[in-house]
Amino acid sequence: MTHVPQEELESLALGELPRDSAAQVEAHAAACPQCARELSWLRAEQTLLASRPRAGTAHLWAGIAARLRHPRRRPHRAWRISVGAAVAAAAAAVLVVTVRPRPEPAAPQATRQRRERPAIDPKALAALDRAEADYKDAAKVLEAEYARLRPRLDPEMARRWDETLTRARAQLGESRAVAADDVNVRMRVLDGYAGYLRSLRDVVQESEEAIP
Amino acid sequence: MIFDREAPGVRRFLGDLLRDDAAADEGTQETFVRAHQRLTTIEDPAKLRGWLFGIARMVSFEHLRRKRRDALPAEPVEEPMQVDQAPSPEAVLLSAESDRVLDGALANLAEERRAALLMRIDHGLGYGAIAAAMGWPLQKVKNEIHRARLQIRASLAGYLDEGAR
Repeated sequence: MTHVPQEELESLALGELPRDSAAQVEAHAAACPQCARELSWLRAEQTLLASRPRAGTAHLWAGIAARLRHPRRRPHRAWRISVGAAVAAAAAAVLVVTVRPRPEPAAPQATRQRRERPAIDPKALAALDRAEADYKDAAKVLEAEYARLRPRLDPEMARRWDETLTRARAQLGESRAVAADDVNVRMRVLDGYAGYLRSLRDVVQESEEAIP
Repeated sequence: MIFDREAPGVRRFLGDLLRDDAAADEGTQETFVRAHQRLTTIEDPAKLRGWLFGIARMVSFEHLRRKRRDALPAEPVEEPMQVDQAPSPEAVLLSAESDRVLDGALANLAEERRAALLMRIDHGLGYGAIAAAMGWPLQKVKNEIHRARLQIRASLAGYLDEGAR
């Protein structure tokens, strides 16, 4: 039996084939165990990759806008003190979470959606809570700084920064609500806090430079 | 807006290449700053995505090169092996730790091979666009993606075999 080229199976798995061609390849795979197995692998890989969490990006625009206005300036580290404690706490949380014992593999289940979650480790959750609280404290420092500068900003610039920060906060809030007690997702939320702090840092820095 | 549409993919790609969230955030910003400066050089808007990923790939490799200057030599990457006797793909999907194993398997791929594989499977770029982004001949793109797949499957199968014992 002549097999379907791997690239064609791959296009089918990625949903790129036109309907007619897809039906032909599916029909071949139904009668060819080798192609069916390859197709299953391709779909499994694609499903696994696609199901990974996605990082937010709304907070990144402020830094890009700042660099486009001041091309020679590199991001500086003026806010290390307020942000540093939060980052250190996050690092401690990461350590606690990553050194926990590896759980035994779960028994196979009927669908991917029903896979077992790792058991909740109270120490890891407590470390994550502490790190999150530190990030929030650091954010408060920078938010207060922005609030102090904001009345002296050009209204259009202030509107843009407000919009950027509101989007970043909304994204963070949604991620936090979804995370609940899932340790791995909470780790991603901490990354979101770090990004929000970087965004705030850029906004404050840009605002300081814009005020005569 | 190009940023709103493409930044999530670029950030994810850089996160997978750099494996460091802060570096991936800064890499995303650097990618879009460079893209903005060169936007007028794009002749075919349909190629925008591949072009952005090409810039992101350069940004990530520059970052990794800087990082390696003080680092120890990398461990040699194991060549792929055939996995004809491996457990089924369905078993891989049902495994509770498949995400972690996949993450480890991706980390073990050489950066360029990982970049090519992710551009294809995770971001849906065609082989031609990947060849342009990587600066490779088309055949090399196909070979690298094929080898990357064999390595990933070998890692997943190895994990499942270990779990079955």
